[in-house]
Amino acid sequence: MLRLQVNGHVAEVDVAPDTPLIYILRNDLSLNGAKLGCARGQCGACTVLVDGLAVRSCQLRVGDAVAPAAVTTLEGLGTPERPHPLQTAFLQEQAAQCGYCTSGMIMHAAALIAGKPSVTEAEVIEGMDNNLCRCGTQPRVVRAVLRAARQGV
Amino acid sequence: MTKLSRRALGLSAAGIAIGFQWGVTLAQPARPVPPMIRANPRLQAWVRIAPDGRITVLTGRVELGQGVLTAMRQIAADELDVAPDSLTLISGDTAETADEGVTAGSQSIKFGGEALGVACADVRATLIGVAATAWGVPAAGLSVADGVITGSGQRMTYAEAAGRVSLTRAVDGTVARKPVARQTVIGTSLPRTDLPAKVFGQQVFIHDMRPDGMVFGAVARPPGYAARLESLDMAWAKSLPGVIEVVRDGSFVGVIARREEQANDAARQISRTARWRDGAALFAGRDVFDHLLNQPALNTTIHRTEGAAPAVARTHRAEYRRGFQAHASIGASCALAVWQGDAVTVWSHAQGPFPLRGDMARGLRVPLDRVHVIHAQGSGCYGHNGADDVALDAALLARAVPGRTVRVHWTHEEEMAWEPWSSAMVVRMQAGLAADGALGAWSHDVWSFPHSTRPGGATGCNLRSAWYLESPVEAPPATDLPLPNGAAARNAVPIYAVPNQAVTTHFHSAMPVRTSALRTLGGYFNALVAEMFIDECAALAGRDPVAYRLAHLTDPRLAAVLRRAVELSGWTPSPVTAKPIAGEMVGMGVGLSKYKNSDAHVAVVARVAVQTATGEVRVLGLWAATEAGRAVNPDGITNQIEGGMVQSTSWTLMEEGRWNANRMVSDDYDAYPIIPFTKVPPIQSVVIDRPDLPSLGVGEGSQAPTGAAIANAIHAATGRRVAEVPFTPARVKAALG
Repeated sequence: MLRLQVNGHVAEVDVAPDTPLIYILRNDLSLNGAKLGCARGQCGACTVLVDGLAVRSCQLRVGDAVAPAAVTTLEGLGTPERPHPLQTAFLQEQAAQCGYCTSGMIMHAAALIAGKPSVTEAEVIEGMDNNLCRCGTQPRVVRAVLRAARQGV
Repeated sequence: MTKLSRRALGLSAAGIAIGFQWGVTLAQPARPVPPMIRANPRLQAWVRIAPDGRITVLTGRVELGQGVLTAMRQIAADELDVAPDSLTLISGDTAETADEGVTAGSQSIKFGGEALGVACADVRATLIGVAATAWGVPAAGLSVADGVITGSGQRMTYAEAAGRVSLTRAVDGTVARKPVARQTVIGTSLPRTDLPAKVFGQQVFIHDMRPDGMVFGAVARPPGYAARLESLDMAWAKSLPGVIEVVRDGSFVGVIARREEQANDAARQISRTARWRDGAALFAGRDVFDHLLNQPALNTTIHRTEGAAPAVARTHRAEYRRGFQAHASIGASCALAVWQGDAVTVWSHAQGPFPLRGDMARGLRVPLDRVHVIHAQGSGCYGHNGADDVALDAALLARAVPGRTVRVHWTHEEEMAWEPWSSAMVVRMQAGLAADGALGAWSHDVWSFPHSTRPGGATGCNLRSAWYLESPVEAPPATDLPLPNGAAARNAVPIYAVPNQAVTTHFHSAMPVRTSALRTLGGYFNALVAEMFIDECAALAGRDPVAYRLAHLTDPRLAAVLRRAVELSGWTPSPVTAKPIAGEMVGMGVGLSKYKNSDAHVAVVARVAVQTATGEVRVLGLWAATEAGRAVNPDGITNQIEGGMVQSTSWTLMEEGRWNANRMVSDDYDAYPIIPFTKVPPIQSVVIDRPDLPSLGVGEGSQAPTGAAIANAIHAATGRRVAEVPFTPARVKAALG
C-alpha cells in the first residue's frame, strides 16, 4: 500500500510504485483535473502541483510522490464556491476552446505566478512555453494568467 | 400583405378541439423551410416542454470546443423568450436528437442554428396562440417574458399553455423567427456554458466517465498499415499483468485489463511479440509528390468560365506543395461501449453520432437499431481524427465482456500513427495578364488524396479496425465532394473577377496513407496558394498587393474586410520587388478568403521577420477582420478566428508528417511539434457584425488567409517565394538562394 496526500486528503493505493501518478489520480481517485495527454511529458495536460512545484504527473512515479509530499490537482486548487484567482481569470477571459489543456495550463501557471504579482507578459509566455494548446487559445491564456497574477496569488 | 390562416396543428390530439385564427399579419411571404427541418420534421426532436414547464432543447450538433452549444442555447432562449440558463440542452444522441449528420464545415449555426431557431419560434407562436384563443384576444397583442405569456391583464405560463396543445407533431418550418431588432440574447457574448465545469475539474469529458465496473481496453497495432497478423500466443497474451480478456478477430487484436496502464502495456507487448506479415512499402518508396503527380488519378475539370478578356501579354505559372498534416489533438481519441444482449451503447466524441452509428452497425454486423450512440465531449478534434475509429475498437472489445463498460483511450502515438491525416497536396496555377496587369485567365489544378473519408456512407465501414477483421468490412470507395463547397478543390474557385477560369482536380481515391478531413479540407492550401499566386501576379504587374486585389474584387464584403484588416495593421502596401539579402528582413503581407466561397469573409495581415542566415521565420504580428453576417456570439467568433490564426501559424511554419515504409512515424510532439507559446504572434482582430444578413459559418474562416498572409509577408520581406508548406528554415534558406 502506498500512502498519498492528494488535495489535503490521505489516500491508500495498492499499485506498483513505478506506476505513473496520472493513472492513480484519474482512475483510482476519480479525479478529473489532471488530463492524460501525450504521456511523454511533452504537452503538460497532466500537470499537478507536488509541494507547490508544477510536475507532469505522467512522468512522476507514484512511489516518488508518497506522503508527506502534498499533491494538488485542479480540484484541490479551488472550487466554484472558493475559486482560485486563476480559475476566475480563465472564466473572465474565456481562455479556452475545448478545455482539454486548461487544467494543465492552470496548474502550471499556479506555480509560475505564486508570489509574483508583477510577473511580466514575457515571463508568462516564456514560463508557459512547454504547455501545448491545439485550439490556439494561447493569447487568452496569457491574459488570464496576468490577470490572476495581478490579483496576487 | 397576406393574412395567414393556419390549421391548429395537433390541437385535437390534446382532446380539446380548438380552432383559431392567427391574428398575425405577415409583411412578407412565408420563408422557405430550413433543410435541417425538412430532414428532421419532428418538433420533439428540437423542443420539449415538460408538464412542470421545464424546457429541453435538442440539437444534433455537438460541442467540439467551438462553443456551439452556448450559441444554440442563445438562439433557443431568444426565440422562446426564456433565460438561457433555464434550458436543458441535449446534443448528438441517436435516440433523442435530430440527425444533423456531421458537426463540421462551419455549418452548425448557419443550418443547425437556423433550424433550432425556427422550431423554437414555432413553439412560441403556438403557445401564444393557445393563450390568445383562451382569452379571446389577438395573438399580436400578447408578449412573453421568462416563459410567461401576458396581455390584456392576464398571464399564462408556457407549462399551462403546453398542457392545452400537443407539441408532438411536425415543425411548422415556415414560422418567422424573431426580427433581429428584438433579439436580446443572440448577438451578445454570452460566456461559454461548458467552461466552468472545465476550470473546476468537474466531469465533462468522455475521458472522465467512470461507470461502475468499467474496465480498460487497448488495441495492439500492427507495425504498419498493410501488415497482417500471422500468429499470436493467446495464452501468453492473456497471462500479461491485469489482462482480463484478449480479443482476436483476424488481424484485429486487443486486450481488456483491470487498469488503463496495464491495458496499454499489454497491447504494446502484443504488438511487439506477435508475428506480423508486412505489406507493400508506402508509395512504393517514392516521394509523395512524385506519387501524386505521376500515378494515375481521376482528372476532372470541375469549374470553367469563359469571357471576353484583353489580350494576354504575359503568362505566370507556379507550383506549390504541402506535405501531410495532422489533427494532433492534445487528448487522444476515447470511447466507452457496453453490450446488453445484442445491443451496444457507445459514448463517443465523434463529430457525427448518426453517421457513426451506421458504420458501427455494418462494422459489428448488427442491425442499425442495435447501436445507440451518445455524444460526450472530447479534446478538440479539428476534423476527422481517431474519434470514430476508437468507438468501433471499444465496441469490438466490449463484446467479450457483456454487461461491462469498456473504455478505450488511444495513446497519443496511436492517434498520430493511425488517425486519418490531412492529404499532401500539389497545386499548379496559371494566369494570363493583360498589358496593364489585369487578370484575364486563371487556372488552378490540384492533386490530392481524399479529404473526406468519414463514416456516413450507404455501404461499407469507414472505421479502421473493421478492415483488419477476419471477414473485413471494407471502406466504401473514397470520393471527392462536389462544388460549390468541394473537398480537394475547396476554395479553388477564385474569389476574384477573372473572365476565364478553370479548376481541375487530379484525385487519388486510393490512399497508401489514409487521409480525411482536417479543418477546411483542401481549403487552407487552395486559398493559401491562390493568395500567394495573386501576390506574384501583382508583383509582375508592378502593383501593390492590396490595390491589385481590390481591382479584381467585385464582392463588396470581401473588399470591406480587406480594407479593414489593412487599416487595423497600419500597413502601407507597396509593390513587392526583389531585394538584396540582408541579415534580418521584415515584411508585411495579406491573405483574403471567403471560406467555401460561401461563408465567412476574412482578411489577415501578417508582419514577419526572416533571419536569412538560418531561414527562420518569426511572425511579429497578425491583424484580422472578419464578417460573417449576423454574429450570434461575437466573442465566440473572435475565439474561433484567433484560435484559427494560431493554429494556421503552426501549420504554415512547422507542421509536416514523415513516414517510413510502414506507417506515419511523426507520432509524438517531438517528431510532430505544434506551436508553443513563444512562437504565438500578437494578434488583433475585429468582427464586423452585419445583423441585416444571415449568419455564416466562421469556425474555419481564418486558417487560409493567415497562412497566405505569412507566405506573402515572407515574399514582401525577401522578394522570394517559398513554394512548399510548411515554410521551414531549410526551405526558406533554400529559396533565398
